[in-house]
Amino acid sequence: MTNSILLLPIYVPLFCGLVVLALRKSQRVKEGITFTATAINFLFAILLFKHDIVVSLPWAGFGMEFSLRLYHFSGFILLAVAFFSFLISLYSVSFMRSKEKLNQFYSYLLLSLALVNGAVLADNLILLLFFWEGLLLTLFGMIAIGNKGAFKTAVKALVIVGISDLCMMVGIGLTGHLAGTLKISEIYVPANTIGSVAFVLLMIGAIAKAGSMPFHSWIPDAATQAPLPFMAFLPASLEKLLGIYFLARISLDMFKLNAHSWLSTLLMVIGSITVVLAVMMALVQKDYKKLLSYHAISQVGYMILGIGTCLPIGIVGGLFHMINHAMYKSCLFLTAGSVEKAAGTTDLEKLGGLGRKMPVTFICFLVAAASISGVPPFNGFFSKEMVYDAALERGALFYVAAILGAFFTAASFLKLGHAVFLGQLKDAHKNVKESSPAMLVPMMLIAGGCILFGVYNVFPLRHFIQPILSVQLLNVPDFSGFPSNGMIVLITVLVLAGALFHHVTSAKIMGGGHKAAEHIRHAPVLSGIYDRAEARLLDPYDIGLRVVHAICRVGWWIDRAIDSVYDRFCVSISQRCSNVLRSLHNGNYALYIIWALIGSVAVVFYALQ
Amino acid sequence: MLSLLILLPLFIVAVLNLPFKVIMRRLAFWMAAIVCFSQLFLVLVHPFLFWSAIPDPLGPFFSFKLALDHITLVMLFSIAIVAFVAFLVGRVTIIDEVSRFNFINLVLILLIGMNATVLTTDIFSLYVFMEVTAVASFTLIAKKKNILALEGAFKYIILSSIATVLMLAAIALFVLVSGGTTFSAIYGSFSDPANSFLLKLGVGLFLCGLFIKSGIVPFHGWLPDAYSAAPASVSTLLAGIVTKVSGVYVLIRLVISVFGVTPSIQSILMFTGISSIIIGALAALGQNDFKRMLAYSSISQVGYIILALGVATPLALAGAVFHLFNHAIFKSLLFINAASLEEKLGTTDMDTMGGLSARMPVTATTSVIAFLSTAGVPPLSGFWSKLIIFLALMYAGHYYYAAVALLASVITLAYFLSMQRKVFFGTLREGFEQVKEASGLVAPQVILAVIIIGVGLLFPIVLNTFILPIGDMLR
Repeated sequence: MTNSILLLPIYVPLFCGLVVLALRKSQRVKEGITFTATAINFLFAILLFKHDIVVSLPWAGFGMEFSLRLYHFSGFILLAVAFFSFLISLYSVSFMRSKEKLNQFYSYLLLSLALVNGAVLADNLILLLFFWEGLLLTLFGMIAIGNKGAFKTAVKALVIVGISDLCMMVGIGLTGHLAGTLKISEIYVPANTIGSVAFVLLMIGAIAKAGSMPFHSWIPDAATQAPLPFMAFLPASLEKLLGIYFLARISLDMFKLNAHSWLSTLLMVIGSITVVLAVMMALVQKDYKKLLSYHAISQVGYMILGIGTCLPIGIVGGLFHMINHAMYKSCLFLTAGSVEKAAGTTDLEKLGGLGRKMPVTFICFLVAAASISGVPPFNGFFSKEMVYDAALERGALFYVAAILGAFFTAASFLKLGHAVFLGQLKDAHKNVKESSPAMLVPMMLIAGGCILFGVYNVFPLRHFIQPILSVQLLNVPDFSGFPSNGMIVLITVLVLAGALFHHVTSAKIMGGGHKAAEHIRHAPVLSGIYDRAEARLLDPYDIGLRVVHAICRVGWWIDRAIDSVYDRFCVSISQRCSNVLRSLHNGNYALYIIWALIGSVAVVFYALQ
Repeated sequence: MLSLLILLPLFIVAVLNLPFKVIMRRLAFWMAAIVCFSQLFLVLVHPFLFWSAIPDPLGPFFSFKLALDHITLVMLFSIAIVAFVAFLVGRVTIIDEVSRFNFINLVLILLIGMNATVLTTDIFSLYVFMEVTAVASFTLIAKKKNILALEGAFKYIILSSIATVLMLAAIALFVLVSGGTTFSAIYGSFSDPANSFLLKLGVGLFLCGLFIKSGIVPFHGWLPDAYSAAPASVSTLLAGIVTKVSGVYVLIRLVISVFGVTPSIQSILMFTGISSIIIGALAALGQNDFKRMLAYSSISQVGYIILALGVATPLALAGAVFHLFNHAIFKSLLFINAASLEEKLGTTDMDTMGGLSARMPVTATTSVIAFLSTAGVPPLSGFWSKLIIFLALMYAGHYYYAAVALLASVITLAYFLSMQRKVFFGTLREGFEQVKEASGLVAPQVILAVIIIGVGLLFPIVLNTFILPIGDMLR
């Protein structure tokens, strides 16, 4: 095996993506090419896993090399990315059929895959940035091909992610300067004052890609407007994987954070806030996809919290949660797609009782929802337990935030499941049928994965997650098997039971599954906050826009003032001069000769001096 | 072989006036074109080798010597182009065959005068050839024989003769002091301090004469009338090259080879230059006649050349000559546009025009190219010469002059933009629906526009082969 085989995971999807974009018609061919390309990519990822390969080609000069590095961590992410993109391309074949702008969708899908592969493998910060920024384009394109209003959301995503990428760009410059090299595997920057600035800048890039607060606000908008496979593909799985991968790289390898650093606390604070606020928003959503999108934000908080603890158990938990989340969240989005395709809507008030009509979807939903709520023995339970453990060790407050998040997550999924699959079947949905196998197979595969990673968690932890840390921390204890801290498990179970109890009682009182969270929505203090959030007063993007608009208005007035000075002052002066000159040139030839003679006298006089 | 450039047009004039009138009138244009092309060819293909390798067999017959250097080369090139273009314009705009034949003869004589003025190294012959040029141009301006043309020609003659008197007096003083008429002899006499009063007086008088010839403020009174009164083909020639050769070129030549650069000359040149730039531009802003506006714009652009000459660094000199060349090209183009409008609309009053770009696309487009080049917008040729002049001003430390020159460029853009808006943009005025492009003028318009763009884009080559060597001539 030559080293340049490492280029194939980038080039194959890239080439196929361009071909798909160029093809004019024949939807089948496009689907075929996309499916084949993702399958080949998956094959590559399996073959390449557990190998160490380094490729370095000359590129832009000045220390910017086209260098790729495959080792355990990047190989693992490569594998996960390949797995999800394979399943989503399979799912899209059925879901996207008869939708417009298909060639763009498939092409963006493949291009995103190529770019993510490139970013994961890149061993040079500038090369990483190249792929990273390229992903921004496909993100923009994928949102923009959605329904009406999607373009505005695409711009919003572009601005938010673009600004955070700009921070990352500055951070890369600073890091390269401090470390004296751009080769990621050789970089070490001590977290002193300026090093901390560099870390924070890079961290902004990483967590914005992962969709953490306060860089999240485009995700819920995109959820209802962009094509659904996009949500399962980029925000739910690929971007989370990439963002958390990079966050782990910078905190573990490049900056070697430890638990005493204030940066670690910063990460944990961001994580906790994201967990609590996003899940509170998720709880009151009335749309299937929008509710899921807020959970996609909330769950990132757990990963950041886990990595931020800088304890082995927390990091393992965070990374394990990353892969678990990618699984259950993409599965949940796929069930949402299945429901949308069958029932034609994702509005919770219009849905109900679909469980009997769509049993497979319902079961997949149950598994994924149990995973995300952290119900034993599904995979989410184990990764969350590790994060709880680490958070408790660092501070009780973080643990409280995490467990609060778990309570509301469970409550909101009980609400969602109740509203969609249980209760009264609506008249409009009498003839609803289960989705096609091409859509069910990916869901079932992922749901099966959720169970496997939970029940037999020895497999992912020993083979995928723990070896990542063994590079840095020579003897990682084995965290696989049932959690060691029984106290925490007990609390978790109690909280989940509490959530169930809360749901059952409130659904009975409020009358209907989708209204189960209404009393929280209208609670004394919270209702004010919710009102403002729903009026978009708290969206960081909209606040930023308002500030920019204010600056623009001031700039406009200043510009008008300067302009009127030019307009009135300069123009009137030059017009006056020009009129004077015109009246002087009145055709009186004697006058012209007199000018010439006066001029001559002056010149001669001056020349004689 | 330099005498060829003078003798060839002379020979053609002689041949044209042989008894076979009818044939000769048909052939006249083509023979004139051959003259222009051979001059272009000789200049472009054989820059130096050709002239020095073959001894001039006719040299001994002349009482003066001819010499070629980099400035001369650029001038010969511009003369050939503008003369050719003027022949093309004349061919279209002058309908009467006899009158056209006379025009061609006169322009050939003008060509002889200009070539000789550019080549000579002797101050008296210089004067003689300037007079040849001047007399030919008087006749050309007056050829229309209406009251305006006669008035324009008359104004030109009067101020020209004042200039002649001044220059002749100055030459007399030079001959009195140095005893010779060649440039080098006079230059040599400048080193003797005993002569300084007479020589300074001579320099002052000569400068005044040349200022009148080149139409510098405040010696410019004749220029707008002469340009706007002359027929289209003649004003192209006059504005494009005649006043530039007999005024500006001679000024450059005398300052660098005879008078030498002294602080007083420098300050006179820079002051008159900058006042021409400003007053010319401001006056152009207030004109509503196309040709008069172009005439004032000419005054303003010549100001740039004089200003750069006043700086007198190698870079500034190169910029001055380059701007002279560019000015010849873009101003000729603008005058051809004016001719095209005059030909088709019968007027040059801009207030009566409007929306003509729909009817005359070539004229409108070339007009944009020409005025953008005049205002110094990259990448057109005018930008580079203005840039060189501006840089030379900055390097020499004349920051205020540089700032004023830059601001005047903005005024240039202003009056040309208002011209373009009045004449070509907007909605088409009533009565112009049937207007068409003047077909014979498209060729010269396109040729000149291509030169403007080509020189602008190939600037590095032009700079190294033609422009920068000029700077080295400054002694």
